[in-house]
Amino acid sequence: MPSLFFCILLLGLRVTESQASGLAPPQQVRLDADKETQTLSVTWEDGHASTFDVEILRTELMEMVLNETVGVTEDQSTGKHQWNWTSPVPLECTSLSVKVRSRDGQDVSEWSSQQILPGLDLPDNTDSQMYPEGKTVPVGSNMTFCCIVEEGQQFGSLWYKDTLVKENMLSRRTYATTMTNQGPSNPSGTNVVCSNEKKMIIAGAVVFVGYPPLPSDLVCETHDLTSVDCQWSKGRDTYLFGMTRQTYYTLNGRNCPKARNSNMRCGLEQWDGNWTLVARNLLGEFRLTDAAELGHRVRPVAPVNLTTPEVYSWNASVGWLWKDKGFERLSLICQVQRTSHLNSSTQTYTGYGLNTVVLKDLQPDEKYSVKVRCGSQKNFWKWGEWSLPLSFQTKMDRSVAPDIWLWMDSDNLGRVLWKPLTKSESHGQISGYEVILWSPEENSQQTLTLPQSVYSLPINVTDLGSKVTVTVTARNPAGVSLPANVVIPRYLPDAEDTAISKVAFNGSGFPLSWVAHANASCGYVVDWYNTSCTQDCNVEWTRVAADNTNTMVQSGNFFAGVRYTFSLYACSSESTVLLERWHGYMQELVPSRTVLRLSPNQEGADVQLTWDQIPLEHQRGFILGYTVYLTNASHLTLLANITDPQLTNHTVRNLVLGSYKFTVKAYTAAGEDGGATVSISLEPYTYWLIMEILVALGTMTCLLIVITIACYRKRKWVKKAFYPEIPEPKLPGDWGITQGTLDVKPSPHSMVHIVEDSVWDSSKEALVTVPEEDEEGTGDEAADTDEPASLRYYNQVVEEGSSSQRRPHASDSSASSTGSMDSGHTDVTYTGIQTSACSLAPMAHFQPQPDASQCVGGGGYRPQMQSASCPEEPQTGPEEHLQPPVGSFGGYQPQCSWKQDSPEADGDGLDQTCLGSPTSVTSSQFLLPYDTSEEGKEHPSSASTWFHNLLTGKP
Amino acid sequence: MADQEHIEIDTLLDMPAPGRSRTGRAAALARLLHQDCTYLLELYRERESLLSDHTPAGDRIVSLSLSSPDLSSDEQVQLLHSALRKCLGLLECLILREEEEMGELEGEYETVRKGVRDRLGHLLHSTKVLLETEEDVTPDHQCNEEVDGVVGTFGAKMWTYRVLLELIHWANSASQTLHVLHSEREGREEI
Repeated sequence: MPSLFFCILLLGLRVTESQASGLAPPQQVRLDADKETQTLSVTWEDGHASTFDVEILRTELMEMVLNETVGVTEDQSTGKHQWNWTSPVPLECTSLSVKVRSRDGQDVSEWSSQQILPGLDLPDNTDSQMYPEGKTVPVGSNMTFCCIVEEGQQFGSLWYKDTLVKENMLSRRTYATTMTNQGPSNPSGTNVVCSNEKKMIIAGAVVFVGYPPLPSDLVCETHDLTSVDCQWSKGRDTYLFGMTRQTYYTLNGRNCPKARNSNMRCGLEQWDGNWTLVARNLLGEFRLTDAAELGHRVRPVAPVNLTTPEVYSWNASVGWLWKDKGFERLSLICQVQRTSHLNSSTQTYTGYGLNTVVLKDLQPDEKYSVKVRCGSQKNFWKWGEWSLPLSFQTKMDRSVAPDIWLWMDSDNLGRVLWKPLTKSESHGQISGYEVILWSPEENSQQTLTLPQSVYSLPINVTDLGSKVTVTVTARNPAGVSLPANVVIPRYLPDAEDTAISKVAFNGSGFPLSWVAHANASCGYVVDWYNTSCTQDCNVEWTRVAADNTNTMVQSGNFFAGVRYTFSLYACSSESTVLLERWHGYMQELVPSRTVLRLSPNQEGADVQLTWDQIPLEHQRGFILGYTVYLTNASHLTLLANITDPQLTNHTVRNLVLGSYKFTVKAYTAAGEDGGATVSISLEPYTYWLIMEILVALGTMTCLLIVITIACYRKRKWVKKAFYPEIPEPKLPGDWGITQGTLDVKPSPHSMVHIVEDSVWDSSKEALVTVPEEDEEGTGDEAADTDEPASLRYYNQVVEEGSSSQRRPHASDSSASSTGSMDSGHTDVTYTGIQTSACSLAPMAHFQPQPDASQCVGGGGYRPQMQSASCPEEPQTGPEEHLQPPVGSFGGYQPQCSWKQDSPEADGDGLDQTCLGSPTSVTSSQFLLPYDTSEEGKEHPSSASTWFHNLLTGKP
Repeated sequence: MADQEHIEIDTLLDMPAPGRSRTGRAAALARLLHQDCTYLLELYRERESLLSDHTPAGDRIVSLSLSSPDLSSDEQVQLLHSALRKCLGLLECLILREEEEMGELEGEYETVRKGVRDRLGHLLHSTKVLLETEEDVTPDHQCNEEVDGVVGTFGAKMWTYRVLLELIHWANSASQTLHVLHSEREGREEI
């Protein structure tokens, strides 16, 4: 109730206000809606005010849409006021209420009666709907879409493309959403979908968002000197498709139905000189203009019916026709493009109504394809279209002279080489070659015909003299080529006469330069081949003009790691002279193998390493030197870097004893090879020690010889000094050969006791000197061993044991002693007496081995058989035999007992004391101590005997 | 892939074959058509950014019932043939409208669409042969907006959506019906 009262009060105030202002309210207010443009037109009648207040509300919810004061003048012809308003929301979405009042400053009239524009959400319109539908708008525009839900259904959601958008309720059944800055649509448009609560699509709309057309670059030209052909660029994509929304073009007001997709062109029958292109779609239109004279826009159509009226070896003529006669009266410029298997080139020709050209510089026997295009020579605009190609083949001609060269293996043997003629050189199919060898000196000529597949010929110029010229010609169906001549060069292998330089590869070839040679009238020739090749080598060459002194040798046959020999020849009609030679590698590599035959040689504390060079084909680079390493496990210690590649040995000095492993590596600019390894174990200097000993022994020997010679020469003095002459005993009468004791008066100083050892060993078959027992025992005379001793000598072999066994020995002994007996002297000078029976042991080795019987009697001379107990005591060990007899004399073997030579003494001879008259014996024997040891028995050696013999002058 | 299938179908149709294998080939053709229609709808949804759970409202376009127990197999095939003729007419109309609306495009959707049209025509020929009558194989539909109830661009899209669903339905029905017929005829031959 209070609100109602308040409303009535307000209404009363307004009525009072309008009555007070005197302005009449607008009459006959009328609403007209243009739903396509969403424009509302409001008209009313009132002839006095020019300013009005307009109020628009959504009828159902009474929401204010617009409240604005607008100035509207009266249409004088109708007397009405009209005001237009564009609604952001489609007018179908919901009903709108409009009312107007007049305003004059602050004075306002009463509101007009409210006019309602009904929406489509009224109850009698039950279907679901969505607006706006099928609208086309520019990219970036904003739009409000509304969904009117079917009566009785519930609104679910709104989707723009596949995006759920937020809705705004306009009325009971109407929900709206506003999309801003819309992007381009796909060809079928952008869908806006309204679904119910069951996600069923109940309504939807499509909006097409795109651009107005924006073509560019309109150009019009003529191809036939009559009609017009205009082209332009489509420009920006409009994103609008289909018959309704696509872009339509007109040229000078005429439709261009063929201007679709990317083919933007349009033609007119006649040349107008000015052209206007209009591009139009639902969002707008765009205009382009162009203007030109006909002569400035000539782009001829392609010539037709190309022919070749005349074709020769080196040239041909090409003709064509024009479809339009106008070109026969136009100055034309034409391009003729000719293509062969070699290359493609284009030549330009000009002429009035040009329709024939002559092609020059063609190659014989070559297939060509030509095509032609033309333009207007005056005010050239653009080249016309290329004609269809025409093919033809030129005629054959004689080939060029072959490029020939000679490569000599020796003084008289070599090969003539020539390069296969290329297609451009042969001028036709080569059928064969002819080689002529002729010698002006010998006035002889050899001619050989070879098939076309042969490019070399072995030659022997032994019988053709020193100056031989080779001529090669090639033959094809057109005839014989000009001859190619070369004088056979002198054979010069490497290291003869010509110095060899090194040349380095620079990435593209081997740069060679030389000093100009006077006799190079027909230029220079550089040939090259694999240096390590020895037979049937692949030789390549190149020719250099006479005025050039350098060249770059290039070939596809150069390989890394291969040494090439380059030879420069000066060529003239008289001779071919080798000027210079180079060696080079395209790329140096490390050697592919190690040095050969690496061997160590010990020289005292030094080791000399020697090796052989790597074979050339394995060097793979210029050997710059060798490195010598000491190898310790995997570690290499550099010992030497030999920078002279010719040096193939190295001495490692001052090594201590032990094992060593040495590695020698050759190196090139690319690096070292894998290395050859050798081991050596340093031995002690055995040979040197042996040598030193031998030298010392030699020296000693020489010294001894000198001493011996000296002693020999001074032997008398020596003898006198050491062995003064003992007076020879004077014996009256003859010494019979009777059996009996031969008494020798012993020297007062010593006695020789011929002892028979108790045990006779074969090795003890000797005489033993012993000091006189009595002498020592009595001591009457001083024991001066220097004094000659009287020896008691039994001139008879002592009987021992069975006589039958001793008999031979007795005879031997007697025989042995017979000499002295035969001489009839009792004065025996006996120099072979040994100091001990055992001392003769070494001598026994040089005598026949005694048998058992000899044990008793002994071999040879055994005068001093001490005892014959050997047979009786066979069980006695050798030690016992070696022991001196009981009562020995202080280590000396005294001549304790003298045996009687008489048979009577046979039985107890051993027990008997030395009997008989001693005889004077000149003894040179020293009395030596009796050594009880085995060694001591052996030491008294033959040296003393030898010395004694030396002194006595015996041999 | 579509070209390869076309070759297969053409080969199938050109092969001389006895009666019992014709039904088998027709059933196989219907199965392939069903797959193609399903794929075509998938492409359409993708192009139109329509979610798969958003379905168009409206009744069936081709309303023939094959489920009546009184119908023999031959009668069912007869009805099927009629329904397929209507489907072909709808598809032809669909193609016409889309080309008017968007121009002649050359995307995958358009390729599959053409394949469905060709295969549907082949299936009509197959069913005609099976019926051994002089049945018409031309499209049976007048492309008329008023008749179709197409209002506006979005209405045309919904109609297209419904046509594609209709194609899937009848291709599936054809596959099942022809399979049954094939089974029956095989059994009869064996007896």
